[in-house]
Amino acid sequence: MATQTAPPRGAAPRSDDDRAPRKIGFKQTLGRWDVKVSPYLYISPFFLLFAVVGLFPLLYTGWVSLHEWSLIGGQGDFVGFDNFTFVLGQTFFWKALRNTLSIFLLSTVPQVIVALVIAAMLDANLRAKTFWRMGVLLPYVVAPVAVGLVFSQMFADGSGMINSLLGQIGIDPIGWHKDAFASHIAIASMVNFRWTGYNALILLAAMQAIPRDMYEAATLDGATRIRQFFSITVPMVRPTMIFVILTSTIGGLQIFDEPRMYDATGLGGSNGQWKTVTLYLYELGWNKQQLGRAAAVAWLLFLIIILFALLNNFLTRKIASADDMSRKAKAARRETRRRSRDLARRVKQTSDAAVPAAAPIEVDPR
Amino acid sequence: MRRSTRKTWVAVAGAASVALLATACGGGSDDAAGDGDSDGQITLTISTFNQFGYEDLLKQYEEEHPNIKIEHNKFGKSDDAKEQFQTALGAGSGLADVVGVEVDWLPQMIQYSDQFTDLTSDSVEGRWNKWTTDQATTPDGALLGYPTDIGPEAIAYRSDLFAAAGLPTDREAVAELFGGDDATWEDFFAVGDQFMAAGTGPAFFDSADALAQGWINQVEVPFEDPDSGEIIALDNPDIREIYDTILSHEDQSAGLKQWEADWTSAFQSDAFAVALAPAWFLGNIEGNSAGVEGWDIANVFPGGGGNWGGSFLAVPTMSKHPKEAQELADWLTAPEQQLAAFAVNGNFPSQIEAQQSDELQGMTREFFNDAPTGQIYTDRAAAISVAPYKGENYFTIRSGLSDAFNRVDVDKSMTPEESWKGFEDAVAAIG
Amino acid sequence: MSAPSVPVIAQTAGKGAARAAQRKRNKSHGGADRRPGWVTYVVLGAFILISAYPLYFTFLLSSSTSAEVAQNPVPSLIPGGEFFTNLQRVFDADIDLVKATGNSLIVAVVTSLSVVFFSTLAGYSFSKLRFRGRGPLLVFVIATMAVPTQLGVVPLYIVMRQLGLTGNLLAVILPAMVTAFGVFWMTQYLDSALPYELIEAARVDGASMFRTFWSVALPAARPAAAMLALFTFITSWTNFFWPSIVLGTQNPTLPVALKLLQAGFFQDLPLIMAGVVLSIIPLLLLFVAAGRQLVAGIMAGAVKG
Repeated sequence: MATQTAPPRGAAPRSDDDRAPRKIGFKQTLGRWDVKVSPYLYISPFFLLFAVVGLFPLLYTGWVSLHEWSLIGGQGDFVGFDNFTFVLGQTFFWKALRNTLSIFLLSTVPQVIVALVIAAMLDANLRAKTFWRMGVLLPYVVAPVAVGLVFSQMFADGSGMINSLLGQIGIDPIGWHKDAFASHIAIASMVNFRWTGYNALILLAAMQAIPRDMYEAATLDGATRIRQFFSITVPMVRPTMIFVILTSTIGGLQIFDEPRMYDATGLGGSNGQWKTVTLYLYELGWNKQQLGRAAAVAWLLFLIIILFALLNNFLTRKIASADDMSRKAKAARRETRRRSRDLARRVKQTSDAAVPAAAPIEVDPR
Repeated sequence: MRRSTRKTWVAVAGAASVALLATACGGGSDDAAGDGDSDGQITLTISTFNQFGYEDLLKQYEEEHPNIKIEHNKFGKSDDAKEQFQTALGAGSGLADVVGVEVDWLPQMIQYSDQFTDLTSDSVEGRWNKWTTDQATTPDGALLGYPTDIGPEAIAYRSDLFAAAGLPTDREAVAELFGGDDATWEDFFAVGDQFMAAGTGPAFFDSADALAQGWINQVEVPFEDPDSGEIIALDNPDIREIYDTILSHEDQSAGLKQWEADWTSAFQSDAFAVALAPAWFLGNIEGNSAGVEGWDIANVFPGGGGNWGGSFLAVPTMSKHPKEAQELADWLTAPEQQLAAFAVNGNFPSQIEAQQSDELQGMTREFFNDAPTGQIYTDRAAAISVAPYKGENYFTIRSGLSDAFNRVDVDKSMTPEESWKGFEDAVAAIG
Repeated sequence: MSAPSVPVIAQTAGKGAARAAQRKRNKSHGGADRRPGWVTYVVLGAFILISAYPLYFTFLLSSSTSAEVAQNPVPSLIPGGEFFTNLQRVFDADIDLVKATGNSLIVAVVTSLSVVFFSTLAGYSFSKLRFRGRGPLLVFVIATMAVPTQLGVVPLYIVMRQLGLTGNLLAVILPAMVTAFGVFWMTQYLDSALPYELIEAARVDGASMFRTFWSVALPAARPAAAMLALFTFITSWTNFFWPSIVLGTQNPTLPVALKLLQAGFFQDLPLIMAGVVLSIIPLLLLFVAAGRQLVAGIMAGAVKG
């Protein structure tokens, strides 16, 4: 992940990037102290805050997972890794993992693809841009309580709207709360409803930073819109794509609210059809008071997520390097770089460096 | 120009954050730890959920006790309150001085009884029936909560659907039909067979699991041995009988799960004719059945009497003012005050004296064909003799059994035998 | 491609000329600027209709009587006439709406501002500055997102009790002041949106590290920052679980206060939904305001000077 999220993407840009700070170092009179300490200073708020509100809970959870521990009664005997072996020996855990992965795949994959397409459409020179852009974010403002109520009504097995619509086109009612796979589809659609527009806006922000003349040049070259999408848009928003995929993965594997709201009991169905790992965790900790075991599940889930993040990272890199389009993108990048250097030179000649500093994103002609 | 605007912004942001830190966030609410009682002035906090109906009562108490100020922390649903309750207990601080708890939380409280004050007192002697206080009493005899209200059960039925099936409709006759004072579950299902035989369309009852709840509430020792704590649910013949009997009458069930959307809308589609009805349940029937006529209540219950639900007031040991808190809880749960609360929220009071009051006795409910609900539920409350023993694993086992019923009754994905195996797995997983 | 960019025009010929150039560019008929065809509008329209349906459904419920809702779980598409009656019932309920709204506003505004500022700062550092341990530290930031939140509640509550903050808005603000999500987002955005050359240029001009951040990175981050602010605001505005536990209802945020409408054994849907609609109105207003900002963000970032 480290190399992934750091800026250098190919051999050529890397040497470029690496040179940058050194230039700064010897060219100007600024104190070395400023240069050395600032980066740490800038990231310190996150880490300081994390130390207070994140690290303690994390370590506490780890400590709890090694003990017999009741939610109310507190610490019991030290049991080593017994909680982990217990959880791993439970069919409920594996079932929950299966459900989680199924819902995760049914939500994340279509969500990212649709978000990308919607973002590209929003990036076009639409009339009434504000309306469209804000419109896709509407699902995000609806309070969870309303989302839960609306969807449980829509997906009700007997009286629900979806089944009656299906009935009108001659399809038998689907057991949304009976069949495991059907329940996964219903829950995934709740997730997709809430997050697709959100991710589309995130991708849109990245697309807006793509210099417009790259498209102009491609148009002059006779590239179709579809081709431009794949050879310019997608490669140029790659860091943000990685961001979207990674956060959707993390969020998808931690999915809790939607399955919990899916019925009135909130524990994942009478046969655990939609019991996810976090629901299982909640059930262990809050219903059964077995906080030690719940903590073990939390840590296992944490490891699974890390595993998926690594896998994700590996796959995206594989796909990217196999894609010859990315070479085109790299060339385009070099072009941008050249042009901004050009611009920077001009900037240097002006008196106030601060003013045109915002120039690179201005390249967007809108 | 630019520079100065920026500076202004920084200054504004800085000033705002300081001001914020200093004042805005506290909201004037000191928690239990912070209140000083130098001049004898103390602040008590009380937390409730749903509708305890205490707003006016608390004001009255403050007027009568000038040295006491009360802060009322109201939660919406009991689940919200329960999450806060558990978190605060787990963290070892942060509970109110007087905590409203649901009957369902008592097993946990009894398990950690050292966290709660023993409220045994002469002043509440004889206020409640023994079975009521037994629910909140530890094996050592400590009383952890004062009961506020209870949920005695009767049978609610649709007189119009009964008429269509050729059954009696008058509430006294229906009570007789179900077996009157000696009503049994066998009688209940016999009426069901009669109803179904008429073939009018609707099912007899709403949910197998709801019947199970009503029945289990009559079993003194359902799942766990009170002495050894051992789980006996799987070997308990009573439980197996409940399971087999109810599911063998699956043909009478509408196959719904309570509180789900399908169940709610079934009130409008004449899907069933009978529901077990604790006192607090009437509002639900009435709300879901808007526009439907014919609901009535019969003064009868299979197996005699049973209690479903109810709440208590407890005083956690983390309270800084346990004595004053106990006094407040005592006062609030006195018959007079609970009658006042009843007038607000309609929850059936648990106090013997309150139940016998004229006010309660004279009460009727228009939607249920003017049924004398006060009288009916007083009778139903008097018929209750036991409350089931609930050990630390009661709810895990109960929800496992619930799932077992619903797999057969609602999902129809398993035979009763297969589903019972699933229940065995769920019990085994308690480990 | 030989045409000078707008800021250069702004530098050399003044703002008016820059604006004119901008307008001219907007009208230019280069490939990317052509208005999209009707297909785009149809697809987006369908997407937004689906997106808006649950919101509209909420409004429909809030404009009916409970009897209507019970009789007709799928309301007709025409709103009933009871919206203001239900709204009045929300106002009549024993809820301090003014205080709750004020609290929500304080929490949402403070967290949005602070998340944007600190995340941009950290994102800038991670994406553009070289320092020892950068890679592992960023991985660490991302890894913190993978920690399941449900379990952190008890220890976090203990922390807040220790700090004496339960019942205090700071207990809700503090944990949300800078998020791993925000840091990661800003890192990724600045990674592609901010060329090194600009930083170089500013540094060459003798700007300090912070001034470089303030005058180069911050403006470049504007569109992403606006988005992050909007997201953070909404998330904070609709957040229920943690505020409910740590604040209680003595000093509640809006969702915590509105949850009181659900008290009781029977769910009064029109009342609950009127509360939901009421809580959404400020967000929709924010949309109108922020929407323009988001769309204008890029241009403004460029021309303003």
